Amino acid sequence: QFLLADRFHLKSTAAEPWPENATLYQPLMDDQILLSDHASSLSVQAYLRMCGLPIQVVCRYNAEYMSPSGKIPFIHVGNQVVSELGPVVQFTKAKGHSLSDSLDDVQRAEMKAYMELVYNMLLTSELFVQWCDDATAGEISRPRYSSPYSWPLGNILAYQKQWEVRRKMNAIGWGGKTLEQVQVYEDVNQCCQALSQRLGTQPYFFNKQATELDALVFGHLFTILTTRLTSTELAERVKSYSNLLSFCRRIEQTYFEDKKLMKD
Amino acid sequence: MAAPDELFCWEGDWGLPSVSTDCLVVLFILTKFTVFILKYPGICSPWRSPGGSLPALRTNQNETLSRPSDIIIHLRKQKFNADFDLSAKEGADSLAFISLLEEKLMPALIYTFWVEPKNFVEVTRRWYAEHMMFPLNFFLPGRMQSRQLEKLRLLRGDEHLEAGEELEKELYRDAAECMNLLSQRLGSHKFFFGDSPSSLDAYVFGHLAPILKCKLPNGKLQQHLKSLDNLSDFCSNILLLYFPRDSRAEPSAQKAPAAPEAGDFDNVPNKRRKQFLSALFALGAMLSYALLTGMVSIQHGHQEALEEPPDPEHIGAHEEEGDG
Repeated sequence: QFLLADRFHLKSTAAEPWPENATLYQPLMDDQILLSDHASSLSVQAYLRMCGLPIQVVCRYNAEYMSPSGKIPFIHVGNQVVSELGPVVQFTKAKGHSLSDSLDDVQRAEMKAYMELVYNMLLTSELFVQWCDDATAGEISRPRYSSPYSWPLGNILAYQKQWEVRRKMNAIGWGGKTLEQVQVYEDVNQCCQALSQRLGTQPYFFNKQATELDALVFGHLFTILTTRLTSTELAERVKSYSNLLSFCRRIEQTYFEDKKLMKD
Repeated sequence: MAAPDELFCWEGDWGLPSVSTDCLVVLFILTKFTVFILKYPGICSPWRSPGGSLPALRTNQNETLSRPSDIIIHLRKQKFNADFDLSAKEGADSLAFISLLEEKLMPALIYTFWVEPKNFVEVTRRWYAEHMMFPLNFFLPGRMQSRQLEKLRLLRGDEHLEAGEELEKELYRDAAECMNLLSQRLGSHKFFFGDSPSSLDAYVFGHLAPILKCKLPNGKLQQHLKSLDNLSDFCSNILLLYFPRDSRAEPSAQKAPAAPEAGDFDNVPNKRRKQFLSALFALGAMLSYALLTGMVSIQHGHQEALEEPPDPEHIGAHEEEGDG
């Protein structure tokens, strides 16, 4: 969702160095942010840390509305605002920072494919569990989403968001189904299995160096492991792959040692 | 003996066994096994399918499966595993590339067949209207289009998506990148993994074959695909090897617009003749009206005619009848 106009901006600001006061915006950590948003935010944070670019994380309850594409997170760098991991990667590339330059063509193809795998299977499953499972939606997602607002605005916004996500699920054929009918946990399992296979015993997915794929996978898996939901099935699926667990631990220790990664 | 499963698929054209991507995926997977499945391949109306959409697999437990992935899982449960000889890593790559296809290539496919105005009107809608029976052919293609547009909007997360230059560029750019990546991954091999086809091959074939074979007015995707030799050969080989009957059939929709010189005119056959006949009819009607109301009279006497030539009729000049 990278507008053409943004690309022209990119070219013109490529020369500017990365400022010290770059900020990343996300919803409130303790009460508001949801699993999928937290996962996306953590991915971008991990990526920027891997590039060695300083970023401050600021929590705002209306971060979703401030974002140019409506998605979390977004970064404010200089006078540019960029949201989501894909555009952020391109943005940093224009500024001369890239993690995937040393990959050859086949590896780059695989990296892109695996990133799509995460978006397709993992992110979709997260959204489904959050919003389409009545128990989770009622106990966790809607209360959290509406927490910064007073009644009835919070309720309205929460239901609106839920309706939006359910419509999207219709487009991929998961509409109107319950958790048991849909292969959600099976999909998560398959995705983790694929990632686990690809990772093998290496420290990172490609060579000895972290790429945006590592950032993305870390963001999602770490969030799944550390977020409390109505059931622990999602986390259980991830835990059954030990190399993924050690991968998450390694990334946390290497890149987030200064910061306590709170969840919930 | 258990009743066989039944498979309902869209009809084929342009040298393909079916015009729908999902149907192609399922049909290709099924060629790998000798499964006892009753196929109804020439379906031209989603109302005849058990699930209301095509493709549809009705299992012997009377369950209807519509998504190719569900159908593949069902086959796997019955011990027909398309990815049996793949290693674990290849299976993982397979999953990843299928996701890539669905995220990057499918939106462009939907756009090029259903949203792009010229393509939709001249090819897609015409094909479905011709192949559906009365009275479905009047409203069903339009309904299918709005559903596809809705799907595209949801996939892109943009409620107000409309056909346009910018959207087209973005989608085609993503699709071109996806095709390039697939081409790099395929290299010079016959199939993506080893010498026998797997589910990834089926998905790639299902998505690329319609692009390759269908002649669209706005054919940028096709041009790009044709520039990638290994992918075009991949599709053509599969068609030749696994669907020989269909690939030999001449594409019937190639009685293409026979009036290309008329620019953007609708393709009306015998245009000139119809125009001429219409003009003739109008002239005849005017003349007979004029004669009947007496604005014009056919004079028999020559002398009177010499003095006052009859005035032209349409100014409404009334002529005195010179009768005697």
